Amino acid sequence: MALRTPVRTGDPTGGPAARRERRERRPRPSATGARIWTWLTLPGTVWMSVFFVASLLLVAAISFGTTDELGDPRFGTNLGNLRALADPAYRDVMVRSLGYALLTSVICLLVAYPVAYAVALHAGRFKNALIAAIVVPFFANYLVRMYGWSVLLSDDGPVLRVLRAVGLAGAHTKILNTGFGVIAGLVYGFVVFMIIPLYAAMERMDTSLIEAGRDLYGGPLRTFLFVTVPATRQGAGAGVVLVFLPAMGDFVSAQFMGGPNQIMIGNLIQDKFFEGQDWPLGSALTMALMAVLLIAMFGYLRRARKDEAEASR
Amino acid sequence: MSDHLPPLSSRPRSSHGPQLSHGPQLSRRSLLRAGGLGALGLGLTGCGFSQPATATPAQTDKPIEMKVDGPLVYFNWADYIDPSVFSGFQKEYGVKIVQSNFDSMPGMVAKLDAGNKYDVIFPSAKYAQRLAQAGRLRAIDHTKLRNAELVFGSYPYFEDPWYDPRSAHTVPFTMYKTGIGWRRDKLGALTGSWQDLWDAQSSGTTFLLDDEDEVLGMAALKLGLDPNTTAQGDLDRMTSLLQTLRPHLRGFSSDDYNNLLDGTATMTQAWSGDMVSVLNQAKDATLYGFEVAKEGSPINSDCFAIPANAEHPGTAMLFIDYLLRPENAIKTIQYLGYPMPVHGTESAYAALVKQLPQCMIEPGDLKPSLYFRNPSTAGAQARDTAWTDVKAG
Repeated sequence: MALRTPVRTGDPTGGPAARRERRERRPRPSATGARIWTWLTLPGTVWMSVFFVASLLLVAAISFGTTDELGDPRFGTNLGNLRALADPAYRDVMVRSLGYALLTSVICLLVAYPVAYAVALHAGRFKNALIAAIVVPFFANYLVRMYGWSVLLSDDGPVLRVLRAVGLAGAHTKILNTGFGVIAGLVYGFVVFMIIPLYAAMERMDTSLIEAGRDLYGGPLRTFLFVTVPATRQGAGAGVVLVFLPAMGDFVSAQFMGGPNQIMIGNLIQDKFFEGQDWPLGSALTMALMAVLLIAMFGYLRRARKDEAEASR
Repeated sequence: MSDHLPPLSSRPRSSHGPQLSHGPQLSRRSLLRAGGLGALGLGLTGCGFSQPATATPAQTDKPIEMKVDGPLVYFNWADYIDPSVFSGFQKEYGVKIVQSNFDSMPGMVAKLDAGNKYDVIFPSAKYAQRLAQAGRLRAIDHTKLRNAELVFGSYPYFEDPWYDPRSAHTVPFTMYKTGIGWRRDKLGALTGSWQDLWDAQSSGTTFLLDDEDEVLGMAALKLGLDPNTTAQGDLDRMTSLLQTLRPHLRGFSSDDYNNLLDGTATMTQAWSGDMVSVLNQAKDATLYGFEVAKEGSPINSDCFAIPANAEHPGTAMLFIDYLLRPENAIKTIQYLGYPMPVHGTESAYAALVKQLPQCMIEPGDLKPSLYFRNPSTAGAQARDTAWTDVKAG
């Protein structure tokens, strides 16, 4: 393999030590400057407080509420909604959703890694164009894209017709309304959240490290495993979180691509808020889902902190 | 038609009492809704914190004169009315129509709760009852409408429907039945019973509607129970019956006509009006069948209504009347696929569904016992739990 970034290796100031030095030489912000930055966080903080934190507190409050005759929620101190969560149906669906979300994260990682690697390190001047090509389709509404897939993958749809014609699918092969279909939908829906952080990590990576690995007689595989993978682990971690969280709460993929045995927790929550007209129970379910996600998130943060501590040692 | 339009003193109005006596709670509730909507990602419309309509009976009962009093703010499902009907109305009365759409009945209520002002809305029977009882609808004096006789004269059921005594706040819009749509070429003839859904031939390509009332209602009717039952014993029997159907199912989906058209379904629980879309879009319409079950098929209707806070109720009255003109009703029926209870349109609908005559709705089909109704809050929760158990397996 050719040298990847000849410019940087030739640059006498390119080493990690030199870069650390440069970082330290950056002018320190003055006191006034610091105050400006503090004020600049205000709009974001207000926005998040009103539309995220307050809404979340309302959801928490409604989970103890009741429903009136019009189907609207009322505040209360009702524990019935939490008790209703003991229904084994919810536990089973929650476990299924966890499994789907984990599998989706792993598949996304496997799919996204080579893509991000190729774009970040080998795409040269096409880099930005390729990233745009990956991101732009995701501007189209997720629901609309899923609906499109359900048409493409239907029994008489173009995908299965082609597969049947070339003998890769039998007369009774189905994609729609299977677990495979749901996970494929989730992967398609969220893979971009994996590609972008991985791409950013690889883009930032000091490629001279790869060359150093080679210089020290590391084969391509060893160099990859002991240099590239550790250097991009944080990006991968961020990607897994960004994919796992929305995949766990998703309802669109299971709705369009799933069958009766692929229902996810998001579908049940959506049912409670809409057709079931039981916002309190929907809120209780949401809180349960958030608790599961928080535990997962907490585990990730601890892991990330440990990584950081190791790296700085 | 003077007999069905007295002042509304006889109407039960108990629901006003608690609403008016809990003033502070209302603002708290509207705040709650606004926040909840944000959480749902439905977005705020800028007036989410305003109070929901708290009009007094005197205001909602005031008769509306049929005259232009501003543009028509129209709120309905998407693609429900032939665009030529809209343009005809705009031209004839020289008013603009401002259109917006909802995607579910709860979504419609949420928008009303958020304080949005619409002139004409289209609730289902169940929601019409809730809105009317909560004092959220204007009274509609049928004697002010030129074409009301075409509805109430030929479909006496609507003179005093269960959801709105004497149709005091509503005018019926469309009607439908729920039955089974299937592929004749793959399954042949069926037996005219809900038992057909258990057909081994279509196992793995059978769908139920993704609709709590329809699925529970089907099971209840098959067992000879009340489709609105909330008794735990009944619900348990219905749940275990539906568990025997689950292995045959490919999914719960309300996209009944597309599932039939793209070959995903060989059999599906289906709404009669959606079968017209199948007939219109299929390359070969003779491949499809539609039957209603002898055990009973749920029947439903939706209606025109004018919200209590409507700003242009006079224009709304003109619009309702315009849509009831047989020539416009026929256009709507042909566009939408659902029949309207308007005298003079029956033969047009019959021609539309010649291929699937069971889609026809006769005045005698409109039985209150086959309508989905509003259960008590506790009853609704019991039904919802049963539905969750069926759906999640």
